[in-house]
Amino acid sequence: MIEQLLLAMPMAIVVIGAFVLMLLSHSRRIKLDRLNIVAVFFLIISFIMQYYTLGNHTGTFLLENVFNESFILDDFATIFDLMFTAGAILTLLINNDYFKSRQYFSGEYFALILFSVFGMMMLSHANELVTVFIALEIASISVYALVGYHKNNKISSEAMMKYMVLGSMTGVFFMLGTALIYGAVGSTSLTQIATYVSSNSIEDMTMLIVGSTFIMITIMFKIGAVPFHSWVVDVYHGAPYPITMFMASTFKIAIFAIALRLFIVNFGSINSFWTEILQVITILTLLGGSWLAIRQTLVKRMLAGSSIVHSGYLLIAISSIGLGSELAAPAIMFYLIAYFLSSVGAFGILSFIASQSTKQMHYEDFKGFASRRPYMAIMMSIFMLSLAGFPSTIGFLGKFYIFTSAIESGQILLAGLGILTAFISVYYYFKLIAMMYFYESDKPQKKFPFDISTILIVVMALLIIWGGIGTSLIPFIPGADGFIEIAKQAISSLK
Amino acid sequence: MTPDMFFLLTSLLFSIGLVGLISRRNLFVVYMSIELMLSSVNLLLATFSKVLGDASGSVIALLIIAVIAAEAAIFLAMIVHIYRENRTIDSDDFDKLKEGNSNA
Repeated sequence: MIEQLLLAMPMAIVVIGAFVLMLLSHSRRIKLDRLNIVAVFFLIISFIMQYYTLGNHTGTFLLENVFNESFILDDFATIFDLMFTAGAILTLLINNDYFKSRQYFSGEYFALILFSVFGMMMLSHANELVTVFIALEIASISVYALVGYHKNNKISSEAMMKYMVLGSMTGVFFMLGTALIYGAVGSTSLTQIATYVSSNSIEDMTMLIVGSTFIMITIMFKIGAVPFHSWVVDVYHGAPYPITMFMASTFKIAIFAIALRLFIVNFGSINSFWTEILQVITILTLLGGSWLAIRQTLVKRMLAGSSIVHSGYLLIAISSIGLGSELAAPAIMFYLIAYFLSSVGAFGILSFIASQSTKQMHYEDFKGFASRRPYMAIMMSIFMLSLAGFPSTIGFLGKFYIFTSAIESGQILLAGLGILTAFISVYYYFKLIAMMYFYESDKPQKKFPFDISTILIVVMALLIIWGGIGTSLIPFIPGADGFIEIAKQAISSLK
Repeated sequence: MTPDMFFLLTSLLFSIGLVGLISRRNLFVVYMSIELMLSSVNLLLATFSKVLGDASGSVIALLIIAVIAAEAAIFLAMIVHIYRENRTIDSDDFDKLKEGNSNA
């Protein structure tokens, strides 16, 4: 019992932290950076505890006599938890300058972020469809409130409205899918659904397939795959920078956590039903996302469009899972890490620049950036190269594993299309680099500001380079491909 | 009544909700449509619970009501906030998010 409670602690600490922050935010005397330190403190404790539970509790249920089989403890969930907490810590610390420069931030911001992280952790541990729904709602409702956080700005409220109407609608679709699956199986536990799926033939499971297709629609909506993408660019544009960063990196990973669990464990044997649907969605996502990203002139909207393209690459690997590729699932986890590092870095630099002005950044505003802030420009270039998948960055390795898994499962067309869109993406990423370096600036060069946010951005840039080349060039230093082994172990802990 | 009638009612309610969500522009009506869809899902769960002779479906329906309440809280707060700011809750009037609008 005590040991079980100890295993529940990483989640419990985050939610306790959220409540503590809500109480503290009532007092106007506590400054925002104090609250930030408190939030990061809770998250770091949770991170450390997760790190120590990694690897020794595979497939046990959390407090089984209380929650029945609702929560499962395995390496897969723990690795995703580590990513969520790391993402939240980085979001909070990198945006330290940003929220000090804006009047509208208050203490509840930290509480909402922690609630959202708690929802995501529940999502990665959930072993039961209703728990998944509730976890998804905890995470999304916090994010809805965060998107509309800039109270006096019309575009922020508008983004919240769009996201909330569409998000609630897909929530309903998820619940409808759950109800249909409950009608077919008689239970919503993922373990029992898996037994039911493996013991029946595909012709007898029409209701289950319809239900799980509704669930898949929700997942596709949340990651912004193309027929369901209409909210992505607007919401990313309207939200404040810290929230855009949080949604683009951490929230997207959370959705993939549950998508992978469903695709590998539950619907493993009926994946063939979706293969063609998924392939069509993947093609649309890759092409539509590229088209959206090319058209934008705001850097934030471009990054939003490109995040759709990145979802497309991940979908390639998801349909490879259905075709039996062993590498696909670890490749998704590796790609998520690579995308996480690069997008947190890129949004971090944007929010650093935004903390000194109130304008939205167009491409033109980056003219002569390299001569004004040479170090920042170098790091921005590294992030852009990594997002484009240039060799010697971690983004290249991520794409390499994804395309390998696609070829391994015989999807030559999708792999070719992925490489084509990677070439197209060079256009909109390198446009920013060209803007930074090919224009002179008449303003004097500024000093590099040493601050917690800038230091963390440097660390992210170094991690990207280390992930790309450190493995083969520097001896005795563990490389990033060690991570793919960890991911493989985590995936094998699922089955 | 046979369960088939309940399934028919459920699909009718769900369709009315979906059509309302797509075609109406007043945010209150949009919100009510979403609630209607969720309630129809609840009815479906209760029906399945009765058909299967298993109580957990009804328990799930109760849980969903709690989630609906949480969503209602934030949705209504958002509508009030949007009305204060724009003096309208017609969703056609929200078209500021586009390229070239550059106030952060």
